Amino acid sequence: MCKHFLVLMIVLTSGGFAAGQRTRTIVYDGIATEVSVSAAAANDLWITTSDLMRATRFAIKPQGICRDELCFPLPKNRKAEFLARKDATNWFNLTEFARLIKQPYVVDQKNAVWYFGSPAAEQNRYLASLEAPNFTLPDLNGKLHSLSDFRGKKVLLVTWASW
Amino acid sequence: MAQDTGGVKDAGRWITAAKPDYTALIDEKQIVTQRYGMVNVPTAVWIDERGRIVRPNEVAFIDDRFKSFTKMESAPYIEAIRDWVQNGSKSAFVLSESELKARLKPQSDSRARADVEFALGEYLYKSAKGADAIPHFKEAQRLDPDNWNYKRQAWALADADRDYGTNFRKEVEKLNGRPYYDSH
Repeated sequence: MCKHFLVLMIVLTSGGFAAGQRTRTIVYDGIATEVSVSAAAANDLWITTSDLMRATRFAIKPQGICRDELCFPLPKNRKAEFLARKDATNWFNLTEFARLIKQPYVVDQKNAVWYFGSPAAEQNRYLASLEAPNFTLPDLNGKLHSLSDFRGKKVLLVTWASW
Repeated sequence: MAQDTGGVKDAGRWITAAKPDYTALIDEKQIVTQRYGMVNVPTAVWIDERGRIVRPNEVAFIDDRFKSFTKMESAPYIEAIRDWVQNGSKSAFVLSESELKARLKPQSDSRARADVEFALGEYLYKSAKGADAIPHFKEAQRLDPDNWNYKRQAWALADADRDYGTNFRKEVEKLNGRPYYDSH
């Protein structure tokens, strides 16, 4: 029991809090994930490639940075701005990637939170298709409803607020 | 779609009182405001059976209770909705593709940044960091100054006079007769 506790302590101390590393919160697609960052990261957010997968579901593939069917090729002559190998770890520059895909982000230094919004292409997609952007939200009882559930009916979408 | 950071706590009693026979949803992160580029309430969008927008964001009053303030009549809008329900795509109020494309504009860079500042403010507020949320809400308001949703929601979560140096009444007075609602 005591031995297990000691092992756990060592794991906790080395995971994320080792010398030269700090933790940050990334909010991506509205979901918050704690990650370790490279100490060298000042203005940019360099995270490990495994944290990239965990926080954003993006993976590094030969054809680029990919999630589901969507892939963003990295500019050939600028790969070092996105990928680095240091301390036997692969690092990825998430803020440089955000700039590449025109994804707005903002940081709160005090709370070490990096918030990533919708890439411009995703946000503006409906302008060409005229398809109403989908969303899934709860009713008063917590039951989820999606706009797409209403296909086949006319929808009058009305916003209001208590304030 | 209640655009309420406070969720059920703030919007719930209004929905209960309305006893709606339509679907009433609660949007704590103002996702609809963000995805559709809205700036005020009430705002409505008409969506057809195929899920396509046939009238984009516009002011949508269903009665005249705020008429003295808004100078807007609800009757023509309600008649337009009835016409659409009856005539569908043949309704004169359904916009053509070219009219829609003229009205729908790509999101500006400043609006995109305002959305993410507001979202971070909302995240911090929900993480019990209400004071730390204020600078981000202020930045969202600065970046998208005509966005009343981002103003009024932030003020409602704080002491507007103390934390923002203003309040809704003062800001409306500053309009000095210019319309509170963009009435295209």
